[in-house]
Amino acid sequence: MKRKKTDGITIFLFLLPALLLFVAILVAPLISSGFNSFFKWNGIGNKEFLGWKNYKSLFDKSQIPFWHSVRNAMLLAGLSVFIQLPLALFLALLLGRGIKGERFFLSVNFLPVLISTVVIGQLWLKIFHPEGLVNALLLKIGYLKDPLNVPQWLGEGKGLLLYSCFIPMLWQYVGYHMLLMYAGVKSVPTELREAAKIDGATDAQVDWHIVIPSMKQIIKVSVIFAVTGSLKSYDLIAIIAGINSNEAAVPSTLLKRHMSLRMEYGLGSAIAVLLIILCFACSIAIGAIFKERD
Amino acid sequence: MKKFLATLLAIVSVLALSACGKDDGLTMWCIATKSDSNRHSYEAAIADMQKKYPDTKLNWEAYENNAYKEKIKAAVSGNNMPDIFFTWSCAFLGDFVKEDKVYCLDEVYAEFKDKLPEKMCKNTTYNGKKYGVPLTMNIVGLFANMDILKEVGYDDVPKTFEDLMTCCEKIKAAGKIPFGCAGKPDDTWCVTEYLESIIEKSVGAKTLDDIFMNGQTWDNQDVAKAVDLFQDMIKKGYFDPNGISLGNDEVKQNFMDGKYAFYMNGTWNCADFAKKEGLNVKVAEFPVINADKAELGQLIGGPSDTLAVAKSAKNAKETAKYTFELGQLICKYGYLDGCGLPAWTVDYDVSKINALTQSVAKIVTDSNYMVLFGDTAMPAAEAGKYLEQVKGVYGCTVDGATFIANLKKDIR
Repeated sequence: MKRKKTDGITIFLFLLPALLLFVAILVAPLISSGFNSFFKWNGIGNKEFLGWKNYKSLFDKSQIPFWHSVRNAMLLAGLSVFIQLPLALFLALLLGRGIKGERFFLSVNFLPVLISTVVIGQLWLKIFHPEGLVNALLLKIGYLKDPLNVPQWLGEGKGLLLYSCFIPMLWQYVGYHMLLMYAGVKSVPTELREAAKIDGATDAQVDWHIVIPSMKQIIKVSVIFAVTGSLKSYDLIAIIAGINSNEAAVPSTLLKRHMSLRMEYGLGSAIAVLLIILCFACSIAIGAIFKERD
Repeated sequence: MKKFLATLLAIVSVLALSACGKDDGLTMWCIATKSDSNRHSYEAAIADMQKKYPDTKLNWEAYENNAYKEKIKAAVSGNNMPDIFFTWSCAFLGDFVKEDKVYCLDEVYAEFKDKLPEKMCKNTTYNGKKYGVPLTMNIVGLFANMDILKEVGYDDVPKTFEDLMTCCEKIKAAGKIPFGCAGKPDDTWCVTEYLESIIEKSVGAKTLDDIFMNGQTWDNQDVAKAVDLFQDMIKKGYFDPNGISLGNDEVKQNFMDGKYAFYMNGTWNCADFAKKEGLNVKVAEFPVINADKAELGQLIGGPSDTLAVAKSAKNAKETAKYTFELGQLICKYGYLDGCGLPAWTVDYDVSKINALTQSVAKIVTDSNYMVLFGDTAMPAAEAGKYLEQVKGVYGCTVDGATFIANLKKDIR
């Protein structure tokens, strides 16, 4: 009995530092954000209690484009799940077959993940520049006639800015998901593949009936990462469109805009709280969908 | 051995901790980072101060503009301010003053009032008390590429608005672009340089100043007309259509490369334009649009870059004296470098200052009213809403009537 008690204290003491860090870094700021979201506060002065007013203003699209930003984030999540992940899966399956130069292609596809987002952003800014690569190409092939009247890929309100942000984001993280899935592909026992082959299955049939079902958990993790990553997306949008863009706004850029630029800490905290709830809800929903399929 | 090591470690820790609390001169935070055009003026001024006061060590740190805004607000909020800090005038410093975190400079100002005109302290005076030491000041200037203007028959910058519009037509007919203006969402301040000048020269400086600073309503039909006039210029093709996708650095570079005839922006650009070989630039005031309400000599700009002293500063009165002297030197070196105009009286040789900056100095000398940049004059939240509408005006999604209606609803 005494031994058990001593073990319990030891376990508690060993866990205490991690628990303290968890509370200090995650729980306390969460509670603080939740508390601040009920106030009007510029970050330095006195707080004025507003009740639910900050949340109500987020639901009023004439005041803050919050739901537009959520829609943008969900669109990005959709594109990630239905374009980025299938592409990553395709590459993982292809490389998993042990093609020539497997390691080289693995590294090449993973390279964008290693490059700083700032560098990637600057690179794509040059590509989408009015006199950049995309428009030059469209002029060259004759799709565009007038060099003084070209699509404004980076112009606010022209309907293209959102996609100018999403394309590099999807491109950058294909390699990341590919690597996760590649590990899954490689974990499938060789005997299973060989047995299927002996039974006359093609490579595509092996992938569809054996490899993909075996890596369901990895696909689930990838989907969760892709969706929550899309909801939290910030850096590339801030670089390419800017945090004051409404067209390409996502909840994180909106949060930064209100909290840091406009000094509306209460409103920013309300956005943060809703963003956290949204991320949790999506993770639970994805978990439930995969569980149902099981 | 273990005991010896433990004792040694304890002694070292205690010494290290005691060093943390040691009084080690004054501290200052500013935004003159190594890439900032004002860096040299800060370095030169601080070097002069170190020579004059060898016993007072100034520990200064510089931060990037946006990061600094967050840092200083957090420091004010956490009572962890440096002794001296850089700030913008009007609403930005006003928030700190309201919280009683800034040392009042009235008593010390008396010693410097001969060198620092009272009107230069207007933007840092709250309830009749002075809280800031102004450094350099800037206005919005109409920069003109004289080589392009000569091509269409102009030897000087057009003096009237009608003439300016005729000039734009000729430039357009010659296959050139009259104006360059950055329109990326984070560079909307560049659009305000045009829009505010057009509004000011339509409704008059006092009216605009009252809207920005004195709580007057935005519901003003003359403002709506001025906004529509600006949009007409955009629709007529006087602005680079690519501007909406460009940042200010790109637009400025385009102007320096001779792509645009005109560029309206802050006079802090003078040094760069003067340095560029082969660039023939003149600077002028934006012409009057409605002579019944506005006149020449009414400018957008004024002193905004400021040093202030924390109320918590060590020996605040002496620190304030030090700050005045430092501010005067930063102003001097900044002016000599062509980074801005002096807020302080000039008592040194200015013959070597570039001609462009000297032209701006003449414009300021002849001026009679200065309205501070709108986004500096307003509190951060209001400025954000204002810039939101300005962005819509440049993108032609918001017209004059909607502009004033939205600002009336969102601000006043």
